[in-house]
Amino acid sequence: MKRFGDVVALDGATFSVAPGRIVGFLGPNGAGKTTTMRAIFGLVRLDRGEVRWRGKRVGPKERARFGYMPEERGLYPKMKVGEQLTYFAELSGMSEESATEAAAGWLERLHLGDRADARLEELSHGNQQRMQLAAAIVHDPELAVLDEPFSGLDPLGVESLAELLKQIAAMGVAVVFSSHQLDLVEDVCEDVVIIDHGRIVMSGVVEELKAASPHRSLEVTVNGEPWVPILPSGTVTNKQGARLRVLVDATADVEEILATARQAGEVTSFTFEPPSLTDLFLDAISEGQAA
Amino acid sequence: MNGALKRVWLVTRREWNQRARTRAFRISTLISIGIVVVLIMAPEIYGGGDGNRRTIGLVGASSAQLPEVLEASSDQLGLSVKTRRFADEPAGQVALRSGDVSVLLVDQQRLVWKADPDEQLQGIVISAVGALERQRAIEDLGLTSEEAQRLLRAPELRSTSLERATEEQTARADLGRIGVVLLFVAIAFYCGFVLVGVVEEKSSRVVEVLLSRVRPTELFAGKILGIGLVGLAQFALVVVSALVALSFAHNTLAPDTTPSTLGWIVFWFVLGYAFYAVLYAAAGSLVSRQEETQSLQLPMTGVLFVAYILAFVATESPDGAAALLGSFIPPTAPMVMIVRIAHGAVPWWQIGLSVGLMVATVYGIVQVAGRIYAGGVLRFGGRVRLKEAWRGAES
Repeated sequence: MKRFGDVVALDGATFSVAPGRIVGFLGPNGAGKTTTMRAIFGLVRLDRGEVRWRGKRVGPKERARFGYMPEERGLYPKMKVGEQLTYFAELSGMSEESATEAAAGWLERLHLGDRADARLEELSHGNQQRMQLAAAIVHDPELAVLDEPFSGLDPLGVESLAELLKQIAAMGVAVVFSSHQLDLVEDVCEDVVIIDHGRIVMSGVVEELKAASPHRSLEVTVNGEPWVPILPSGTVTNKQGARLRVLVDATADVEEILATARQAGEVTSFTFEPPSLTDLFLDAISEGQAA
Repeated sequence: MNGALKRVWLVTRREWNQRARTRAFRISTLISIGIVVVLIMAPEIYGGGDGNRRTIGLVGASSAQLPEVLEASSDQLGLSVKTRRFADEPAGQVALRSGDVSVLLVDQQRLVWKADPDEQLQGIVISAVGALERQRAIEDLGLTSEEAQRLLRAPELRSTSLERATEEQTARADLGRIGVVLLFVAIAFYCGFVLVGVVEEKSSRVVEVLLSRVRPTELFAGKILGIGLVGLAQFALVVVSALVALSFAHNTLAPDTTPSTLGWIVFWFVLGYAFYAVLYAAAGSLVSRQEETQSLQLPMTGVLFVAYILAFVATESPDGAAALLGSFIPPTAPMVMIVRIAHGAVPWWQIGLSVGLMVATVYGIVQVAGRIYAGGVLRFGGRVRLKEAWRGAES
C-alpha cells in the first residue's frame, strides 16, 4: 500500500508474473501503474506490503536482476551509446568484460552495431527509444519492467517493439509493461493485469479471461435499412455508418442474429468473437466501481 | 570490492571519463596552466628586459672610464646597465625611438629621453658623471691620494626599518591572496559542475534508470568523488606547473615559502571542495530544471563569497582575531587558513584542529545532504522543499 498524503495510490495491488511471459499492466491514467513499478525498484517506499520475487522479499540483490524502463525517457544525451550501455550493465553488477560484450550484443540486435561510438543525441527518435529499452535489459535481467514502452510510437514502431518484446520473453525474461492504450497492446500481451484506483480489478491469461467473459463481441455490417438486433443485454458500443458493434451475451443465438440481419439488407461482414481487451477492461472497471 | 563500493567506483569513473577525457578539459587545463605560467614568468620575459636591463647611448665626447663607472654604480641598485656608442645624435635618437636604448648621453652633458625621464637611471648617470668630474678635479688640483680618498669617501648611512622584513611580508600576503583567489575560483567552478551534473541527471530523467540500479547515496558519493578527482587533477596540474615555472623564473616576488604554501592550497582545495560540493549536490537534487538552479545556489555561493571576503580581510591582519576564528570555522577555514599559512608559521595543533573540525563537519553534512539528496532526487515537477526531501528519504 502507498499513500501520497490523503490519496491512496496503491491498495492491495497483488499480482504475479512468470518467466518468459509478457504481461500487460493496464489501467487508466492515474490508476497506480507507475507507482507500482517504481515500488518494485524501491523508487517509492511502500507504506505497507512488499514486493516478492521467487518467494523472497525484493532487496538490492534481487533488483540487480531486474531491468527498468521508466515512463519518462532519459539517458545521457552526450554519452556514446556503447559506453552508456556498458555502464548500465556494469552498474547492474556485470563484470567489465561481460558488460562490454552484452552492450555490443544488444546494439547488434537493435541494428545499431555501427553506431556504438555515436552520442545518444545523434540517434533518431526511434533509435533513442530502442536504446532506452536496451538500457533496461542490457544486463540480461530475469524481469523487465517497462513503463509505457509504446507511448509515442507510430504503428511501425509499435510493431517492431512488440517483436522485440517477444524476443526478450523468448529468452526467458518475464516482461511486464504498462499501457493505457489497450487497443495498441491487444496482440502483444499474453497475460494481463488490470489496475484501477490502486486496486487490481482483473488478472490472468488474456485468452482465458476472454473465453471466460460472459459477453461476446458482435460486429455486423449491413447495407440496407437501419438495423438493430433485438437482444435483451445488447448495448450499442460503437456504430460507424453501416457497421455496428455490440457486446452480447455469450449464450446469444448467433444464427438467429445473422438471420435478422439478412432480413434487413445485405450482410457484408459478420463476426462473433470473444470480447476485446478494451471490453474486458471496461467490464472490469465498471464491476469494480459497482462493487 | 563489494557491490556498493564498486557502484560508487563506477559512477566516479564515468564522471572522470566523461569530463577528463574530453577535448574541452584538455584545452581548459592548458589555458589555465598557460595563464599561471605567463603570470609567473612575466617579470622574466618582459619585466626582466625593462626592469633590470638598461642601455645608455653615448654620443660625442665622454670619458673612456664612463662605461665602467656606470656599470659599477648601477650594479649597486640591482640594475644591469650597458653602454652603446653612436656616431652622432640623430643615429642615437633612432635607437632611442625604437627602444634599443633607454637614454642618450650627449657630450657627457645632456640627457635625451624618449618621453618621461627614468629617475633611477637619471640618478645613476648623474652620480657616475659626477664621480668622473670629481676624479678629474682631484687630478687638476694635484691632491694626494689620501686627500682624494677623503674627498671621495661615501658618507656612511645606516638604515633601520621600524617593521622587519616588510618586503617579504608583502610578498607572502600576495601569495596568500593568490591562493585565496585560486581556491575560490576552483571551488566555485567544480561545485558548479556538481550542481549542474546533479540537475542534468534529474532533468534528463536518467536518474530513474540509474536509481533502479544504484542507491541514491552511491550515486551522490560517486558524482562528488568523480568531479572532485577531475578538479583535483586539473588544480594540481596548474599548481605543479606554477612550481616548475617558479623554479625557472627566479621571481623575486615569490617568497621562499611558495612551494609549501602551494602544497597547502591543493590540500585545502580538497577539504573546501568536499564541504561545498556536498551542499551543492543536495541543492541540485531539489530542482528539476537547470533554470531553477540560479536562485538555489545563492545561499551557498553567498557563504563561499563571505569566506572569500573574510580571507581578504585576513590578509590585512593575519594575526587578528577574525583570521584566527575564520581559520577554524569550516565554511571559511580553507581560504582563511591559506592566508595564515602564507603569512607565516601556523602552529601545527591549529592546523590539526582546523582540519579535524573540517573533516568532522564534512562527515556530518554528508549524512544530512545525502539524505536530502536521496529524498529529493526522485521528486519531479516543481522545486522540492527541504522538509519534503528530508521526510521523503525516511526509512
